[in-house]
Amino acid sequence: MSYFESRLRLNVENFEEIKNKFTICEKLGIKNVIIEPIGKLKNLGIDLREKLESLTKMHLFYRTCFRPKNVDELKNKLSSNRKLPTIFSIETPNKEVQIQAAKDSRVDVISFTDPITMKTLTSGIISLSKQNNSFIEISLTSMMVTNKAQQSKNFRELYRIAHSVSSLTNNFIISGNFEDPYHLKHPRALISICHTLLGLSIIDAKKAFKENVKRLIKRVQDRYDTNFIENGVKFIKEGE
Amino acid sequence: MRNERNRYILFKIIHNGILSLDHSDILKSIWKSIWYFFGIKEATKIGLWVIEIDLEKEFGIIRCAHQTKEVLITALSLITEINGFKVILSPVKTSGTIKSMKRESYLKKP
Repeated sequence: MSYFESRLRLNVENFEEIKNKFTICEKLGIKNVIIEPIGKLKNLGIDLREKLESLTKMHLFYRTCFRPKNVDELKNKLSSNRKLPTIFSIETPNKEVQIQAAKDSRVDVISFTDPITMKTLTSGIISLSKQNNSFIEISLTSMMVTNKAQQSKNFRELYRIAHSVSSLTNNFIISGNFEDPYHLKHPRALISICHTLLGLSIIDAKKAFKENVKRLIKRVQDRYDTNFIENGVKFIKEGE
Repeated sequence: MRNERNRYILFKIIHNGILSLDHSDILKSIWKSIWYFFGIKEATKIGLWVIEIDLEKEFGIIRCAHQTKEVLITALSLITEINGFKVILSPVKTSGTIKSMKRESYLKKP
């Protein structure tokens, strides 16, 4: 499997827009996409998955993003959605919720998308998520703002966060998360951007778009595998 | 003195159907992007040269110094608009020789 676009937000009430985004992704040569459905129908049923998969030849994976305001809301959302076979990500500027999410084994990804949320990232959260084997997500969406002064500030924030995360943990992914279809880019191009403008090494950047995403998907698959007990412990069938 | 090695970059031009541009518009926007994101220090090292731009087949080939390949890929990727037209310049392949670049299946499509 090649590189992943780790976050593509799709409004599942507007299939024309979805088709358009899929067409551009295919033209760009993207092979693997992790979709985040938004809108009223965001609870992923089998019908919706089949409908989405019929629109494209790309490998589709799914994620659900929660934006809880407090710890209780986080716990409620996680327990009520625990049967959804998707990647669970948490995105919030509230530090208390971030710490709780980093401790909770049901949370797969803690996202830092916008500059306000990025400013709240601390080494403590990175360390907690590392202990729990969950992932930190950095999103490059903020670099596409049209205001040049704001864009420079966003690049600075991205640079800071990318370096602090890459120096403290291996469990991090980088996603495009672009809203406008004409801002979409092939992950290989994003690797170049991370290398040249954010100062990450090519190897680290490639890991964030490939190996780490594969590990994240495997983590989710293992969670729903009834034979899987914990890392290194799995029931196997006779003769397997 | 040893000659500087080059890299050829093939890129796709993706647009929404209407595109009235010429080669110079694309070249200007590439330079603009290089200047904006990397400044004169990198611009002097690039050695940018347009080999071919085919707006009908929607692709282009440019040449650069091999050390600045990543810089040029970044500059290409960060172009979102040329003369008010929304476009994506998406790098497809890089190669050390023009001969191997021409073997790319994307260029053989009718």
